[in-house]
Amino acid sequence: MRWRWFHQWGSPRWFYERAGRWQLVCGWLSLGLIAVGTIWGLGFAPVDYQQGNSYRIIYLHVPVAFLAQAMYGAMAVSAVVLFVWKMKIADVAMQSIAIIGFAFTALALGSGAVWGKPTWGTYWVWDARLTSMLILAFLYLALIGLRASIRDPDQAGKVCGILILVGVVNLPIIKYSVEWWNTLHQPASLKLTEKPTMPASMWIPLLINILGYYIVAAYLVLGSMRAILVERERRSSWVRELVKRV
Amino acid sequence: MDLEPLKLKIARLSCERDYRLLFDSLAFTLDAGSILRVAGKNGAGKTTLLRTIAGLYEIQEGEVLVGDQPVSEAMNRILYIGHRPQVTGDLSVLDNVKYMAGHDDTSLKFALDSVGMLGFHDSLVKELSQGQGRRCALARLWCSDAPIWILDEPYTALDVSMIKILDDKIRSHVVNGGICLFTTHQVPTLSEFQTLELGFVD
Amino acid sequence: MSIEKRILARELWLAAARPGDIVKPLWFLLLVVSMVPLALTPDSELLAEIGSAMIWIATLLALLLNSEHLFQSDFSDGILEQWLFFNRPLAWLVGLKLTAHWLLHVLPLILLSPVVALMLSVPGDVSIALFITMLVATPALTCFSGLGAALTLGSSRSGILGVLVMMPLFVPVVVLASGVLIRAMDGSETLPLLALLGAFSVASAVLVPIAVSLAIRVNIGGSN
Repeated sequence: MRWRWFHQWGSPRWFYERAGRWQLVCGWLSLGLIAVGTIWGLGFAPVDYQQGNSYRIIYLHVPVAFLAQAMYGAMAVSAVVLFVWKMKIADVAMQSIAIIGFAFTALALGSGAVWGKPTWGTYWVWDARLTSMLILAFLYLALIGLRASIRDPDQAGKVCGILILVGVVNLPIIKYSVEWWNTLHQPASLKLTEKPTMPASMWIPLLINILGYYIVAAYLVLGSMRAILVERERRSSWVRELVKRV
Repeated sequence: MDLEPLKLKIARLSCERDYRLLFDSLAFTLDAGSILRVAGKNGAGKTTLLRTIAGLYEIQEGEVLVGDQPVSEAMNRILYIGHRPQVTGDLSVLDNVKYMAGHDDTSLKFALDSVGMLGFHDSLVKELSQGQGRRCALARLWCSDAPIWILDEPYTALDVSMIKILDDKIRSHVVNGGICLFTTHQVPTLSEFQTLELGFVD
Repeated sequence: MSIEKRILARELWLAAARPGDIVKPLWFLLLVVSMVPLALTPDSELLAEIGSAMIWIATLLALLLNSEHLFQSDFSDGILEQWLFFNRPLAWLVGLKLTAHWLLHVLPLILLSPVVALMLSVPGDVSIALFITMLVATPALTCFSGLGAALTLGSSRSGILGVLVMMPLFVPVVVLASGVLIRAMDGSETLPLLALLGAFSVASAVLVPIAVSLAIRVNIGGSN
């Protein structure tokens, strides 16, 4: 029974149909959560003692920053599934996550810059978090570039998989070394962290937003995977049926 | 030189590339001393089949056995010559063969002489014609003790005299117990060989 | 001749046949270093402060340029795929090739560094620290640039893609190396950091060739 469930994932058609339904659920759920979290955070959460109203960017920045990193982890898991179980759906997942993960990373960098201006007067600082995020952006970009430059999808999947796994081993090393480099040069704390003690009325909407953004990411990835699947399987009968129906 | 008699066994071999099924459940066995020509139109999958048997491509389904070992563990028993030049233009003929074959100078000179390139041993390969470069690449055949030869379009750019030299060499190889697989677009000049015809599968 | 000797001998022959491959990165280093005072200031004091970092950056760029010819031409010529038929683990042969590359193409850059350090008025002890750091750090960098080169073998018009792939992987090495240089300039203890850098280089030299060999196999498996 278990194995049958696992192997169903190998069927593109099964995934396409199921993913369509999951997408719908994720879409509405995330819309609701993000709406609640954002409106609460922007409108109703208390004003911060130190930063005034400008801190409210964290309701966008923190979720997307978390996601940028979590999505890399998801890609790493997909890469393992691809190499061990050779399921093509894992490759489709890797392809989707790379693009959407990059988008989230760009958002994180942008929102970080927007936060930086009122807080320290500049749009960019070389603190540990932003620098790590920038390097993550380069990694995502490298993956997207590699994928685009290789014609055969199986080959592209395996090449990207190798880079992802090498990156996953190196990412903690990179993060640690950047943090260490930062302490070398900036003994003062110019950190983008929220203060550790936030009142519940501040961090509850943040939590809601984080959850909402995770689900929105799932929604986007599922949608992207379905589109890629249809394109890859365009010669198979179920896709031709699908197109005829449309 | 007598080679150890080996069987090459292909079982249930299937391969799909670029969304096309090139061959499905292919099965055959080649005994020592056989020559197989893989034929088919352009794009039928001849190169793919040869490269799969040589162990360069990951086998999607089925198995390729050299003796009783899977090909991935026995690649040193295969001599593969493919489409690519397999010689480095910036190096001399002698250096190229020295690298590829690694034998002592006398054997190398004999090999070069056999392919008619002895006089050119100091020339850089990039200064030679394509046919001459091909001869250099084929010089390996005189220095190798690999029992299985897989030659993808070896006759390309060869003139009539070199074609005869190559045919003679292949014949003596299989008489010694070797196996040879080859493809060619030209009219084959060898005589005793079996043919495997690859066609399109819909 | 054994396979290892043949591969190393071939690298020597290639170096002799393509001397530009060794000389061009040296010229590049010289040119970039010469640009620094022109672009910034001829003031020796300021140059001394940033000089070692500038030399590092220029060397990194030269390394990246260097790596383009690591595997590509052998791949196109069909030489690389023949490695799979040798009776050796591919990662071992990759390690050999990367070692030869380091000796023939990277070591000259390192040997030039004291000369360019003089040009930027870098103080003597910092110059020595720079030299040693490069010796210790470049093996890791060579391995990573090999990975970038191997990953892009099957890519069309890859251009800067290899560099983009390598760049994030260079970061820990660059950061550690700069740490050493700062300590050298301060006059404090550099040995612990150098040891860490050395450990990282050794670990990379053992592990990265495995990833490189995987990438090479995948790209051979996708090509006709």
